[in-house]
Amino acid sequence: MNRGLRMPLAMLAAPLAFFVAFFLAPLAVVILASLSDTANAWTLEQYVRVLADRYHWEVILVTFRIACLTTLVSLLLGYPLAWYLTRMVRWRAWRRVCVILLVVPMFTSNIVRSFGWMVLLGRKGLLNQTLLDGGLIDRPLRLLGTETGILIGMVYVLLPFMVLAIGNALSRLDASHELASADLGAPPRATFFHVILPLTLPGVISGCIMVFTLAVSAYVTPALLSGGRISVLSMLIFQQYSSVFDFHYGGALSVVLLIFTLVMVGFAGRIGRTRGDA
Amino acid sequence: MKIRTTLPFKTAFLATAIGGVCAQPTMADDKTLTVALYGGNWGDAFIGCVAQPFTQATGIKVVPEIGTSTTTLAKLQQQKAKPGIDVAWMDGGISELAQQAGVLDSLDATAIPHLADVVPQGLYRSGDSVFAVSSGYYSLGLTYNTHEISQPPTSWNDLWKPAYAGAVTLPSPANSAGVPFLFFLAQARGLDTADLSPLLEQLAELDTSSYYDSSGAASNAFQSGEAIIGAHFNVGAWDLVDKGLPIGFVVPKEGAWATDARLHLIKGAPHKAAAQRFIDTALTREASACLAEKLYLGPAVKNVQVPPAVATKLPWGERGSLADLRMLDWNTINARRAAVTDDWNRKVAR
Repeated sequence: MNRGLRMPLAMLAAPLAFFVAFFLAPLAVVILASLSDTANAWTLEQYVRVLADRYHWEVILVTFRIACLTTLVSLLLGYPLAWYLTRMVRWRAWRRVCVILLVVPMFTSNIVRSFGWMVLLGRKGLLNQTLLDGGLIDRPLRLLGTETGILIGMVYVLLPFMVLAIGNALSRLDASHELASADLGAPPRATFFHVILPLTLPGVISGCIMVFTLAVSAYVTPALLSGGRISVLSMLIFQQYSSVFDFHYGGALSVVLLIFTLVMVGFAGRIGRTRGDA
Repeated sequence: MKIRTTLPFKTAFLATAIGGVCAQPTMADDKTLTVALYGGNWGDAFIGCVAQPFTQATGIKVVPEIGTSTTTLAKLQQQKAKPGIDVAWMDGGISELAQQAGVLDSLDATAIPHLADVVPQGLYRSGDSVFAVSSGYYSLGLTYNTHEISQPPTSWNDLWKPAYAGAVTLPSPANSAGVPFLFFLAQARGLDTADLSPLLEQLAELDTSSYYDSSGAASNAFQSGEAIIGAHFNVGAWDLVDKGLPIGFVVPKEGAWATDARLHLIKGAPHKAAAQRFIDTALTREASACLAEKLYLGPAVKNVQVPPAVATKLPWGERGSLADLRMLDWNTINARRAAVTDDWNRKVAR
């Protein structure tokens, strides 16, 4: 074998083996289970059961609605935040502090953070107490167990991914583009929409894809903040694997979630590419 | 050149190291026993109350294999040909599934003499052979906030009182108690358990705060005041009381649903004799009293003496007894689990 090839191959072997053992193999197990029945005969029965039922479509709709809204809100909050961090903060140390503040919550468990939101959003939580004390509402708002509650928790958990992806794109932007745009008489607004935004679009798209895929498959945050009153696909999957033990049906639900997500991600990637080319 | 010499060397080194680690248990084969148990305070109690006395008496080291009942069953099914686990604690319900999966050995009264001290309903039989023995009961009773509710509730119907709207918590079907609790609640409300739809419709109208997946989530809801009444495990509820929270736990007049943590001897266990001895140790009065003190597990062993402070916290409540616990037939529940969960998803969780 070519000596030049041997080293990269040797280096690839470990991650490749890891990928096969811990990603492809389990995925294959799930797919095989979804395509068979309890007697181990091949069948598409599970998929018919999932897709021919209005109920599942409603759950898919709720799941994707929450994921899309999470992505949208993260984008609307994340872009200005990334802008602030990369463009407006002049003092280096403060920028570091801001980035640390952004990243540190990711070091604590998702469960702990979701419990934190349960305390804040609850009937007697900080938010309701403040609104009640301020006389803005007469009785506590119901936030836990609603899509709004799940959305708040998800945006909090996933916002850092968006900010880091966009911030990275913004910081790599060549300042001369903006100077040229201004030189040619474009007002700052036009420069932003015609120069900066298209150039940072790959960062925006990758941030959106990351947030979307994490949101659509999230279990802990929706499970805790929904209080079991709203179902998302991941919760139905967990139920099948944890208490019903129907791995065939649970597998089919997982594969459906995976395919829908891949379609959405492929779609988003396409937008990024065509806009990037133009 | 360098990589060619060091890589095989490192691989060999790694292989030796891994081999060494893996080989250790086989070297000390007769001196260890692998026991599957739960994590957290349950696992700590099982180790403190059973494993340590066992090791002291026999010199055999207990290797805990930590996991929930479901995880343990999954492991047992995978290892069916060559089991690595000798003894397993699994909850009621999963125990029946393990029996059907054919991973359990029968418990023999000559090898485990303390089986004779266990109450009759604590021995689970399939035909003539005993496939599981109870190591203590826990119940799902009516738990309430004593600040918000001054008069202790007396009936499961109290959950529907308008005063508690928006502040009720119940287990979801993802919790191991979720589905059996529905059967119990239907009975308590005088409904036919053959069709749970009417109960699910009543639950859909009940203004709950949450349906919890884990016992921890229920404790959290009571702690934060999010829930002021609901069904919670005696183990978790009394833990909150012990922490000084204003919580009460009662067994209402309809009784409380209960199940147990059971001990199983694994078919083809590598250390069968030691495993039988271990189960025997767990069935002593001392071990049973110890579990009652640490987890408030109601003893399945006859004539266990516990301090009065512990006695009030046992699953049957202050004045109750084993007869107040409603233990439903798990085989019926397991057979209908998928259908009930599905019905729940459509009627309640949306």
